[in-house]
Amino acid sequence: MKTALKQTLCMSALLGLGAAAYPVSAHHSTTMFAHDKVVSISGVVKEVHWTNPHVAIYVEGAAKGDKPATWVLEMTSPGNLMRAGTWKRNSFKPGDKVDVDMAPLREGGKGGALKKITNTESGMSLNANLREQEGVVEK
Amino acid sequence: MKHFLNVLAAALLACSATSFAQNKPAEKPIINPAPTAKDWADIGKLPDWSGVWNPNISDQDKQHVTNPPPWNAKAAARIQFQQAELKAGRPTPLFVNCLPEGHPSWMMISHNALEILFTPGRVTMLGESDGGRLRRIYTDGRGHPLDPDPTFHGHSIGKWEGNVLVIDTIGVLPQSYIAPSEAHGIPNNGDMHTLERIWVEKDVMHVYMKITAPNVLTKPYETTRYYFRQRARKFDIVEGVCQEGYFAPRIDKDGYHVYEPQPHDVGGNRIPPK
Repeated sequence: MKTALKQTLCMSALLGLGAAAYPVSAHHSTTMFAHDKVVSISGVVKEVHWTNPHVAIYVEGAAKGDKPATWVLEMTSPGNLMRAGTWKRNSFKPGDKVDVDMAPLREGGKGGALKKITNTESGMSLNANLREQEGVVEK
Repeated sequence: MKHFLNVLAAALLACSATSFAQNKPAEKPIINPAPTAKDWADIGKLPDWSGVWNPNISDQDKQHVTNPPPWNAKAAARIQFQQAELKAGRPTPLFVNCLPEGHPSWMMISHNALEILFTPGRVTMLGESDGGRLRRIYTDGRGHPLDPDPTFHGHSIGKWEGNVLVIDTIGVLPQSYIAPSEAHGIPNNGDMHTLERIWVEKDVMHVYMKITAPNVLTKPYETTRYYFRQRARKFDIVEGVCQEGYFAPRIDKDGYHVYEPQPHDVGGNRIPPK
């Protein structure tokens, strides 16, 4: 292999290390979200879109000391969520009071990749981690 | 005059030949025979691939770093650019507007489940999400067409070697990506050929792939991807219409349930209200 090509491939591999830790979602990369950051908001569920390829929960809420706004929280697909945990289409409903942790949009909009959502009245909490179900794979 | 007559004779001959070609009887069509009771009984002798198969995404992440495709210099430069864009928070949109991931990216990096059906003369892979995710693998002994119309998943023929299904695929659209991640990928640029060997051990499906793509790779790329089986009924495959997410469910002024288009980016993510 030519040296320049080898260097390029090595560079690609090394740079890729940074990306590997990101919990990307279905169908496209979610690196528009800053996965090294967590934004927490409290609010009320406004809408739940139980749709492919990505479920979305709209929450009217605010981070501590911030003005209320409508936040769009993206997740993976309904099928993936059902397999990854105990999600159902009505796990969260409009009107539910919730606390949410998200990886925020890098460009600063009111959106993020949902990490964890908790119903503050029942205490029920769900996340959206696909990799937790994998277990040990024998090869 | 003699020259004119020669031209006229040649023209008449050409017309005659054309007329003959048009009247030539059509080739006898190849008929797919109806399966026999034995064909169905033979299905029962195949290995058990039932259930829902989920990709091992952690291994996909790992191979993105440890086992990159052997890109040629031009493709490697683009991958490097995509990596820089990714780090800057501007991932290159590859799988956009709900087009299928296609072959071989579906098998390499899908995050969605699939199921596999055996019928006489065919193995069918059905994927959850983006409705076009389907592979027909003919196991009836046919060969490839001489000049297949290119498709996202190509033309696949398979044969069983014991418990291993060996699949040969050509005819993939040149636009179909070879993608080691959802943010890194290069169109195969035509003339791609893949060989797969698929088998199951202890509820893990092994998908060995050898991807030959002379227009973007310096040598064939070899990789094995892993899927794990889930049998609980609650994990059954569900419908996955990709474009559904471009709309919000609403009730119109007449009380009908309708869809209302939603602002979204090219990758399908909803754009938050300003």
